[in-house]
Amino acid sequence: MHAVRNIRLCTKDCLCLYVCPTGATDTESGQIDATKCLSGCRACVDACPSHAIFLIPDEYPLQQKKTNDVKKALLTLSESKTRQEQLALTITKTSDDPIVRQLAQALSISNRLLAEDVLREAGYMLPQSQNVKDFLQSLLDTPQPEDFPIKTVEKLLSIL
Amino acid sequence: MKKYICPICGFTYNESVGIEEEKIKKGTKWKDMPSDWVCPLCSTKRVDFLEEAIDVALNEKVPFSEEGEASTLRKLSIKEMSALCSNLSKGCEKQYRNEEADLFKQLSEYFKNKGDFTKDASFKDLSNLIQKDLDTNYKNAKNVITKSGDRGALRALVWGEKATNILSSVIKRYDKKKNELLENTNIYVCEICGFVYIGDEAPKICPVCKVPNMKIVQVKRR
Repeated sequence: MHAVRNIRLCTKDCLCLYVCPTGATDTESGQIDATKCLSGCRACVDACPSHAIFLIPDEYPLQQKKTNDVKKALLTLSESKTRQEQLALTITKTSDDPIVRQLAQALSISNRLLAEDVLREAGYMLPQSQNVKDFLQSLLDTPQPEDFPIKTVEKLLSIL
Repeated sequence: MKKYICPICGFTYNESVGIEEEKIKKGTKWKDMPSDWVCPLCSTKRVDFLEEAIDVALNEKVPFSEEGEASTLRKLSIKEMSALCSNLSKGCEKQYRNEEADLFKQLSEYFKNKGDFTKDASFKDLSNLIQKDLDTNYKNAKNVITKSGDRGALRALVWGEKATNILSSVIKRYDKKKNELLENTNIYVCEICGFVYIGDEAPKICPVCKVPNMKIVQVKRR
């Protein structure tokens, strides 16, 4: 567990500079140097008056198991929501009426969020879970178009 | 005493509490409410409210998965892969893993610009899919997921169905009023749950997911 700072909450009281035993908080970037931060120390977390510093775990829990029935029900919805997003995006590209485009844009954003939410609940909550790694690996194992960003996928697999 | 729930925003009328601000005394039965009464949060008509169902017994806890479970039942479409990757990008951001967040974002964009574009589309097409979600897909999913006791998935359904009800109502309103609906006002989307709002100012909190309006963004006219 090491500390990170939410710069949106930080009110620059800078008690973290004072209490940190290793000087990990003494950076210009506004972030805490993870290589110096002592795992589980939390002196800065407890000192911060704005609750802008918190600990993030080095290991997250395993992905919650999803039954096939649940996945199937959620994937029916993700299919519908992504089709709706697609229709809305098409309207934004083909209409010459700014108000129609504006409404369609809002609908496309909403449908993207709705699709993301059901997919996340279909077994892809955590980026470092085995499900996500399997998904990325499946992209490498199946034939892809020439412009497919293989390197991006390989990089992700190596650092997740 | 019963409770009645707004299908759009989730506002609950509790007969045993009433609504003090509207001078509806506690103990006022639903059938005795004024006939022109509308939801104080989102103006939905009284007749559209639903009686609260009694909750089912607590479900067993869903176990965590061991490694290597087959992740999906079918191959995801390109557009689903785009949505999956944009969500994983957000997931990485929350964990302060910026490099991974960027990579997932690149993948998401790649899929977004790929593949099957429909040539023409109308709000009517959208409306048909929305109606099918509301008539069938959410109902089926609710049955299955309530039985499974998966609280996270159920949460996604509850919010999703509310947001979808709103999309349905927005398109119906547009159908009636056309551009007049938006001409002199604004449109907003809640970045957390997809709630869409038409009005001069975003509500203080999202009526669906209760996030403060710093997460409710305006969609500009271009």
